[in-house]
Amino acid sequence: MVCARMVKHLRLPLLLLLLALAAECNSMSKPGKPDKLGCRSPDKETFFCWWTPGSDGGLPTVHRLYYKTEGRETVRQCPDYHTAHSCFFSKTYTSIWVEYTVIVEASNALGNTSSDPLTFDLMDIVKPYAPENVTLVVSIGDNPHLTIQWHTPSNIDTKSGWVTLKNQLRIKLEKSKIWKNYTSDTQTHFTIYNIELGVVYMVEVRCAIDNSAWSEWTNTTFVKVPNFPRTDNSFWILVFSLSLIPLLVAMIILILKRKTVKKYILPPVPAPKIRGVDVQLLKSGRSEDVINAMLLNQRFPVVMPWKDQNEDYLIVSDKETSYLPLEKNKIFILPVAITLDSEVQSKETSEVDRFLKDSESSSEESSEKTKSSQLLTKCPSTNVLNDEKANQLKGVTEKIIQPFGISGYVDIPRHEHTQEADYSRVNEVNSDNILIMKKENVPHTLDTQGQEGGVLDDYSRVKEVNSDNTVFLEKHSDSVNASIRAKGYIDWVNQKAKSPHVTGHSEMGVCPQLVGCGYVDTFPPPAVI
Amino acid sequence: MQLETILPVCSPAHKQSFVLCVVAMCRAVPINDLIYRASQQSDKLHALSTMLTQELGSEAFPIDRVLACHTSSLQTPTDKEQALQVSESDLLSLARSLLQAWSDPLEVLSSSTNVLPYSAQSTLSKTIQKMQEHSKDLKDGLDILSSKMGPAAQTITSLPFIQTNEIGQDKITKLLSCFRRDSHKIDSFLKVLRCRAANMQPQVC
Repeated sequence: MVCARMVKHLRLPLLLLLLALAAECNSMSKPGKPDKLGCRSPDKETFFCWWTPGSDGGLPTVHRLYYKTEGRETVRQCPDYHTAHSCFFSKTYTSIWVEYTVIVEASNALGNTSSDPLTFDLMDIVKPYAPENVTLVVSIGDNPHLTIQWHTPSNIDTKSGWVTLKNQLRIKLEKSKIWKNYTSDTQTHFTIYNIELGVVYMVEVRCAIDNSAWSEWTNTTFVKVPNFPRTDNSFWILVFSLSLIPLLVAMIILILKRKTVKKYILPPVPAPKIRGVDVQLLKSGRSEDVINAMLLNQRFPVVMPWKDQNEDYLIVSDKETSYLPLEKNKIFILPVAITLDSEVQSKETSEVDRFLKDSESSSEESSEKTKSSQLLTKCPSTNVLNDEKANQLKGVTEKIIQPFGISGYVDIPRHEHTQEADYSRVNEVNSDNILIMKKENVPHTLDTQGQEGGVLDDYSRVKEVNSDNTVFLEKHSDSVNASIRAKGYIDWVNQKAKSPHVTGHSEMGVCPQLVGCGYVDTFPPPAVI
Repeated sequence: MQLETILPVCSPAHKQSFVLCVVAMCRAVPINDLIYRASQQSDKLHALSTMLTQELGSEAFPIDRVLACHTSSLQTPTDKEQALQVSESDLLSLARSLLQAWSDPLEVLSSSTNVLPYSAQSTLSKTIQKMQEHSKDLKDGLDILSSKMGPAAQTITSLPFIQTNEIGQDKITKLLSCFRRDSHKIDSFLKVLRCRAANMQPQVC
């Protein structure tokens, strides 16, 4: 009896003692707070949560996860604790577009400790796994490129359209530190074209569902790009060098024969040269030699100074002839070509005689005729006299005009077609009213232009003859009318036979109708040449 | 002959969509391309809203939030199986209804940015403007699409948003969260629709 009473009294203190002992051996407490609660959905269909337990307080601790969904007030516990400290929600228990509130409670004998609640929507925690089976294929040839292929995470259903993946890859050279990112939509392959040769590339891939968080990067995949074998460089080098040899040979030939080549390419251009002019002679500076050389070569006609010449003139006067029907007292002047040939001369004179005879047939003013015949008779002698001088001349005409005292010129328009010297110049007027005209015979092989110019310069037109027996000559600078040239007569004023009515052109040879009065012309000797 | 008689499908009520409709009809744009384009727009819209919530930070979005959106009354699938069982027309109708429901709230949001702290204001206003643009584009596209898909696609559930006064900061954050969810719904529905329409092209899904 007493023992039972003693045990009863001792029970409580014993328990206390045991507890105290137990407490001293293990510091027991409530469990620590579960921490770092997280949830993740890798496929938008299921999700799982995990936590980190706190201390267990020395006692066996149980962790429980409770969740609550939006719209349902009941608190449910984790349907599946398939691994430690995590909870898996299958499709059945997964809803989207609903708010989940999850809390983990750790409980042990001494108490419970709850974690902080976590509120989320499924779309907030979607984060797929990394892609799988990343393969790299290097393709060589004309267009080297790198093809990267991978597979979607095996847990994701991509056939229904519920999940739409987008991918991202990054690549870098092994020795580089900078990654280059590329985005690929739903395709599970990608090609990179501008790759270097003989290097190692590193590639990583990740993916995301809709606009959720990105998955982790895959493990790095390495690939080495081989150096492409150079295709037969030696062949091309040989071809190149062989083609160079003829080029070199051509260059050498060109250099050696450069003068010939130069002549061929740049033919010498003939310098300007005047025939008969010697450049060296010109340079020597002696003008006489130069001029002589030029003249000899050119065969200029020698221009004799006209002063040295004896001029022979022949004046024919015929008032009665029908040639000059209009005017009386006109005097023909018939140029006669005097040549070396005396026969010709006689012919000439015979022509003159004939002419005179014709003139003699006229009845009027025989005194004048006689005079003229006198004159005419004079002429041949004078002609003869001047024969030597006339050697150089082909034809001489003599014209007698009243004394004037001044040498002047009567224009002698030269016939264009004559090659004879047609010049006549008034040399002097002597006291017998004889106008001595010099006939110039200038051998002209030159062009007639110069002569004509000279002739032109020498023209004088008899303007008038006044009572003082003065012949006024017009200075005539114009070119003479050809018709005038064809036949021209000079008006001859016979002073002694002057009649009061004679003014100007009277008492002269009658000018032909065709021709205005006032020009001396030289007929080309018809029979001479 | 008037254009309406030739193309009775297109309703001339809205000029722009009518023109688009006529153009689409005349050019015979295939449905697949229209859906693909629409899904691209919805993806962009969702991306914008996600970016916005991330930028505003978690402090603007209290953890213990209970979202009671003005669109919560609309019954939508809540998981994959349910979503795959919805018909195409219904999917389109749901998308269009949700889109229509956010036209006014976005307007309210764009005019209420001054409530937020200054640093967030420019981001918010710019992003909201972009969201409005994409929303408008998507709406036009879906209108044309629905006209090709029969009368069931044409029905739009009205989800009125009643808020006349200026809203406070907490309301703004709530609206933004709601919009993020709804934009994701639209995006998911259209992507399911896209995959289903391109049943011969698995790479589309």
